[in-house]
Amino acid sequence: MLDLVSLNVAGLDFTTLPQQLVNGFLLGAIYALVALGYTMVYGVLKLINFAHGEVFMLGSYGAMFASWMMGFGPGGSAVAGSWVTLLLMLLMAMLVSGSAGFVIERFAYRPIRNHPRIASLITAIGLSLLLQYGGQAFLLEGKKQAITSKVNPFSDDFVFTPKKADAALVAQAAALQPEVDAAQKAFDARLPFEKSKFELSPEGDRLNKALAEITAKRDSLQNQATTSAVTIRLPKGKLIMLTTTILLMIGLWYLVMKTRMGRAMRAVSVDFNASSLMGINLNTVISFTFILGSVLAGAGAMMYSTFQSAPIDPFSGTAPGVKAFVAAVLGGIGNIPGAVVGAILMGVAENLVTWAGYSSYRDAIAFVILIAVLLFKPGGLLGSNKVEKV
Amino acid sequence: MQFNFGKWFGTRAISVIVAVLFCLLLDKVMQGPDKSYYRFLMSLAGIYVTLAVSLNLINGITGQFSIGHAAFYQIGAYTGAVLAANKFSHLAATKPLLWLFLAALFGAIAAGLAGLIVGLPSLRLKGDYLAVVTLGIGEIVTIIAKNQKSLGEAYGLSTAKIESVFLISLLAIVCIAVCRNLLKSAHGLAFLAVREDEVASAAMGVNLTRVKVTAFVLGSAFAGAAGALYAHTKAFVSPPDFSMDVSFLILTMVVLGGTGSITGTTIAAVVLFLIPEKMRDLPYVQMGTPLGVAIGIIVAVVLLRKIQESFHGSASERLGRNLGSVGIGIVVAFVMAKVLVMVPAFQSMINGALFRMPVLAVTLVVLMLLRPQGIFGHHEFSWSWVQKLLGKKSPETEVAA
Repeated sequence: MLDLVSLNVAGLDFTTLPQQLVNGFLLGAIYALVALGYTMVYGVLKLINFAHGEVFMLGSYGAMFASWMMGFGPGGSAVAGSWVTLLLMLLMAMLVSGSAGFVIERFAYRPIRNHPRIASLITAIGLSLLLQYGGQAFLLEGKKQAITSKVNPFSDDFVFTPKKADAALVAQAAALQPEVDAAQKAFDARLPFEKSKFELSPEGDRLNKALAEITAKRDSLQNQATTSAVTIRLPKGKLIMLTTTILLMIGLWYLVMKTRMGRAMRAVSVDFNASSLMGINLNTVISFTFILGSVLAGAGAMMYSTFQSAPIDPFSGTAPGVKAFVAAVLGGIGNIPGAVVGAILMGVAENLVTWAGYSSYRDAIAFVILIAVLLFKPGGLLGSNKVEKV
Repeated sequence: MQFNFGKWFGTRAISVIVAVLFCLLLDKVMQGPDKSYYRFLMSLAGIYVTLAVSLNLINGITGQFSIGHAAFYQIGAYTGAVLAANKFSHLAATKPLLWLFLAALFGAIAAGLAGLIVGLPSLRLKGDYLAVVTLGIGEIVTIIAKNQKSLGEAYGLSTAKIESVFLISLLAIVCIAVCRNLLKSAHGLAFLAVREDEVASAAMGVNLTRVKVTAFVLGSAFAGAAGALYAHTKAFVSPPDFSMDVSFLILTMVVLGGTGSITGTTIAAVVLFLIPEKMRDLPYVQMGTPLGVAIGIIVAVVLLRKIQESFHGSASERLGRNLGSVGIGIVVAFVMAKVLVMVPAFQSMINGALFRMPVLAVTLVVLMLLRPQGIFGHHEFSWSWVQKLLGKKSPETEVAA
């Protein structure tokens, strides 16, 4: 086992690294759900759907309203959630996002599908702005909201300790406990003879100081013992989140690889016009792709705002949306496994930056990675570099 | 035809003199303590014209889709502000106009260099990828400014207040003139060729990288100069002034005016700057009103699209029907607003100023649905066009860019 404690590079605390990696992986799983929507839409339409982040935002509102309907709203009476609560919230988020994705495609993108690509890109930007600022005007006055943690009944943690605390230190700290107790007792016994806790006679002061000294000594030993251990906390809720994500991805894989609709989607992404000539109904396939991507984003939104306790406002979709998009490009846009790989890398990178003490730059890291990857491998990590032929 | 140096030089000298006199006149008109608000509006309008026309050089003329123009604007502004606060504070106090000129120059150099560093590697990327990288650059620059102590962090930097409508309008005119003259030269034709077809123009011997980087650096430099002037006009720079929304606003100006049309971009920049500015003063309205207007817009757009798709009559009949649809839209908006306000759920009050950005967004989407090439398309203002409009026969037919 690598001795993380003795590693000390640039003042970084390596004992918290495993925890940060796990957190990054969990965050990456949510980004992956969003990134899949970007990558699938790009696959069939060659369009960057800038409004996808807003579809995500609407999904989290859907989840929140579902929780309000079940009595978890402001002044609601419900006490604790259950499986059913979470499932209903998930379904609601998926429903809201899915309908939003359908409407956006049907009424904004479809009419201009044959125009130059720049037109659809600008429409996407316009829709994104419209949903953000329209939300600011109409959705609960754009105030910051949050889903109460009461909906999540699985709030306790699984604790793993790959490296136990230093036994000698723990023993030493425990050995000091009787002395602390004795000092506390002596001080408490003296207290009735004093004017108050803050105006002590010399005798009381001596006892107080002795208590403070011995407590500090014990705390310092205990602290050393804790930092010598490597623990990973895995909240059960996040484990459920991970399981759901994996199930959704298996479902997606089945849908794309094993069904007729999935085959049609793949055909459209290979050649738009030829697949139309082969009798594939482009409108249906594109609508389906948008709904599928949006539903996944909705699921991600529900889990992001419930298990990661992210606040919800009309602009809350931008940051995860942009990061998921970067993840999709990182993995090679249009490439479904690439989106997942890219998203997990993104989540881990973000947590590593926070861990290294540059948390204010955590939003910049996404773009730094993106630019670096695009410059050296423009097709993305798993994508292929196509040469344009005439 | 023989080249007449005297005539060539004469027309140019006259244009320069007219331009400078025009700027001086504007400056004179805007003087006075009672006109400070109008001076501010005028200055910002000039700055936005510069920004939009310079982005048009990149997006519209060379066809490289950049959506992070505010980054270069920001670099210029911070360069100006930092230099005025440290190295050049004496000069800024004693000779404000000279310093403002130098600040614009420094801003342009800094932003141009940044454009070169960003452009050289990333312009190898095509379309969407370039858009993403420029978006990323915009974000990175803002995040750096937000976290650097020397750049004032999230609070921002204050600097000397130097207002000069003269320099701002001159910058805008220079920017327009450079773009226009570029388009008439062989270099400019190469720019247009790259926009129309990269592969074909490369095959014809156009150096793609060079053309793209030139356009990018030139556009960035103008944005940087505008930024330095902005910093001194407002006497204060802070990260939110250069957010993604500003990039999108500049992009909207270019797209609304017509990607590639300098005339269109200029007009759109003034209009789109003034509308949100004026909307700051909107009163509180009942929620039903904007909803009703939204329904009216939807009805009008649906009708206009139906006409666009399936009506093949004469131009005047078409215009009549288009105007009719707009009229129906207005009536529907009016009626719906009145009706919806009667519903108790839609009676809560909303700050009208909140609708600044939605109006921009709706403009973008509706424009893309109805006229994706922008209001002016690729057309430019020209004197022969004015003469034609006045009923005279034009002496020469200019080729629309």
